[in-house]
This record gives sequence, structure tokens and C-alpha cells, in this order.
Amino acid sequence: MVVSICIGSSCHLKGSREVVREMSALVKEKQVEQEVELIGSFCNGQCLGDVCVTIDGEIFSLKPEDTKEFFEKEIMGRIRG
Amino acid sequence: MSVCVDYAYKSLNKYQEELCGDKVEFLRTDDFSIFILADGMGSGVKANILATLTVKILGTMFKNGAGLEECVETIIRTLPVCQVRHVAYSTFTILQIFDDGNAYLVEFDNPSCIFIRDGLLVPIPANERTIADKTINEYRFRVKEGDVFVLTSDGVTHAGMGQTMNFGWGWENAAHYAEGIADGSMSAARMADRFCQACEDLYIGRMGDDTTAAVIRIIGKRAVAIFSGPPQHKEDDEAAVEKFMSLQGRKVICGGTSARITSRILKRPLRTSLDYIDPDVPPLAWMEGMDLVTEGILTLRKVVEMLESCVDHRTSGNFFQRLDEKDGGSRLAKLLLEDCTHLELIVGTAINAAYQVQNLPIDFAARMELIGRLKTAVERLGKQVEVTYY
Repeated sequence: MVVSICIGSSCHLKGSREVVREMSALVKEKQVEQEVELIGSFCNGQCLGDVCVTIDGEIFSLKPEDTKEFFEKEIMGRIRG
Repeated sequence: MSVCVDYAYKSLNKYQEELCGDKVEFLRTDDFSIFILADGMGSGVKANILATLTVKILGTMFKNGAGLEECVETIIRTLPVCQVRHVAYSTFTILQIFDDGNAYLVEFDNPSCIFIRDGLLVPIPANERTIADKTINEYRFRVKEGDVFVLTSDGVTHAGMGQTMNFGWGWENAAHYAEGIADGSMSAARMADRFCQACEDLYIGRMGDDTTAAVIRIIGKRAVAIFSGPPQHKEDDEAAVEKFMSLQGRKVICGGTSARITSRILKRPLRTSLDYIDPDVPPLAWMEGMDLVTEGILTLRKVVEMLESCVDHRTSGNFFQRLDEKDGGSRLAKLLLEDCTHLELIVGTAINAAYQVQNLPIDFAARMELIGRLKTAVERLGKQVEVTYY
């Protein structure tokens, strides 16, 4: 699955760098490098929310401190089916 | 023939002085560029005032077409007379370079201009005349691409006197040093910095006199085009991208939304990296045909801050090391400072309502302010700038 994290100006200020860092670490830790492709994206036009993250095109809004929980629920949840 | 110049200067203040008694002025008219270096008598406030008056008078008069005699006489009659020495005095060098390649050098009591052509020193011929009791050397010639000129104050030739060298660095040694570092690719900014660093080293950090080097390189036109910010009306997107693509030179997109618009209209995929080289600057992206694709406002802020520090001569020792870093801000600053003579900005004026609502420091006003500061800084660095708004 493709997980894209917005690194546009607004999301950058809301902490996309922390999201990127934590997600990269989680992908390694859970050994799901084969299943998850992390990519960056410029502004998705979702600047009103928190950091904009999409999973295969589905849009989510994420606070950096919720990254672990989000990863477990949305990403690992999908992998486990 | 139309020649372009790459110009920069650096001054080191005499030890414990807050003001510099050397002054460099750069002026640009429709058909020539002019560089003036004046060294006011004494040091500190008095020297600073004399040098400032000299460059301003010379600059304004030359710009308006006055002849050398008038200029020199005006300076002599206008400069305040020193109460200690009973003379009004400031040495100066003027280098006027016309866009058609003609050049005019005027020297009065400064160390002779260092002139490097095809990597070798070219002596400035003596052609003296006397104006108002002052002996002035004049040289009319034609420049060619690759020529490098270094105008210096005597703080350069005296560097290290009584400290590391009995009689100082001397003109010959300084000129050979310049010859050695002028490798054809080094920018004026880097060369001026390197040259002054050599002087500072000879003085062991305690300059015995104000020390200045102004470097002028004759180079071909190097255009850079930047597209930043989405147009105010969506229906203008195409026109803005078309205009951007029609421009010559290196192409830079500075803004996430601008990059997406370009990608959509040109049907070229946009790839974004996740590599944070500088934690304060979002990562780079790539698109076919673009030399650089970056995020907008945060990157621009870094670019503007770096260029302004150059304009105001606030660059610290590791400035060029930072300039060589690979984040979007450093890359763009380096491109504009070291490899650009003409900058064309295509600026969109759309307002992202989401930014305004959330009170983020990246709103519409921030973009416009940064574009204005960028234009001023790049112009003061001796380059020509044009801005088109959409």
C-alpha cells in the first residue's frame, strides 16, 4: 500500500517531519517494508486539518503524537486484513 | 556583444573599529554598471563619512553622465576638511563597464586594480593626468568574458605588516593570490570572501587598517526563472505555467501547490522526497525539465535570510559551507548568489484561506513580503530582477 505524507508548508509546520520519522521507524520495526511504501507529497489542499496522510488515496488527518496509534489501526489493520 | 557582470565585495574593519572607512558602491543604468571603491582618510567615523561621500558623489555624477574632471573637482570642493591634517581626502577606484564591452577604469591613489585575463595577470598601463592637483590614472579598454577584476583598499596590500610580514602582503603577492584562486568558475562572492580571509589570516584577525576587496567577473548571461505561488484565478494557471516555460535559463518551482499546478498542466509526474536535510526546510521534489522543485514559503524564508546576510555582509566564517548544503533553501540561495545574472519571478497571488484561518506564519502577506525582500536582496547583489504577478 502507498502511504503518502504531505510535506507542504502548512503540514510541515504541523509536524510532518515527526510523522515521517516515526512512520519510517515503525515500518522497519514491524518489518512491513514489503507491504508499505512511504512517499512524500506536496500540498493536498487539506490545510485546515492536521498533517495530511493518505493511504492508497484515502485521506486522513493526523496529529504527530497519534502516529503510533494511527499506524497500528490503519496500516497494520489493513495488512492483517 | 552584451556582457554581464558577477559582482561582490567584502570589507574587514580595522581592529576594534565599529565602522569601516572603506566604501564600495555599485550602480546600474540602462547601458552600464559602475563599481566604486573609496578609502577615506583615517579610520572609524571620519573615514566612513569621507568614503561614503566620495562613492555617493562619484556614483550619482557618473550615473548622470558627468565627466571625470567635474567629478574630481566636486569631491575636492565638497569633502569636509580634516581638522588634524587640514586636507580633505579619500582615495578611489572607479570601474565602469558598458554592456557593449567597453570599460573605463579610473584610479586615484588606491592599490592598482588587479586584472586577470585568461587566468593571467594583466598590468594596468600608466596613463596619468592631473586634475585639480591630483594625479589620476585612466585606462580605457574592452572586457571579454572570463575577465576578473579585484579592486582593493591599501588594507589588502599592507596586510600583516608588522605582524606576520615586515612590509605587508604587497601588491604582487596579493595579485598572484587572486590569480591563483580565479579559476574561471569561482563566483565573485566566494572569491571576495576567500581573498579577505587571506588578509585576515595575515593580520592574525587584528586588521591594522580597513581592508576591502571588490571582485567583478565578466560572465555570460545566466538566467534563472522561479515560479512561486498559485495564481489568484484558477483560469490563469495555464497562462502562468506557459509564461514560466517560455522563459530562458534554469527553472525553479518554489511552492507545493505551484508544483502541482505545473505537474497537472504539463502532464509531468511530480516525485517528492522524504529526506530532511535541514529540519526547518521541507524536502525537495523532482519534475522532468525543472532544475529545482521546493516547498514555498519556508524555503523562501531561508533563501531570503541567506541572501540578506550576504547583502549586509553579516556572513560568518561558515557561510559558504552552509551555502553548499543540499536542502532546498541552500540550493536556491547558491543558485541565485553564484550562478545568476538575471532573475525572472512568476508570482501567483492566490490566498490560501486555510492558512489565514489557522493563523500560520505562511499566509498571503508572508509570501508577498518574502518576494519583495527577495527582489531587493537579489538586486542589491548586482543582478537584474523582473517580477510578473498572476
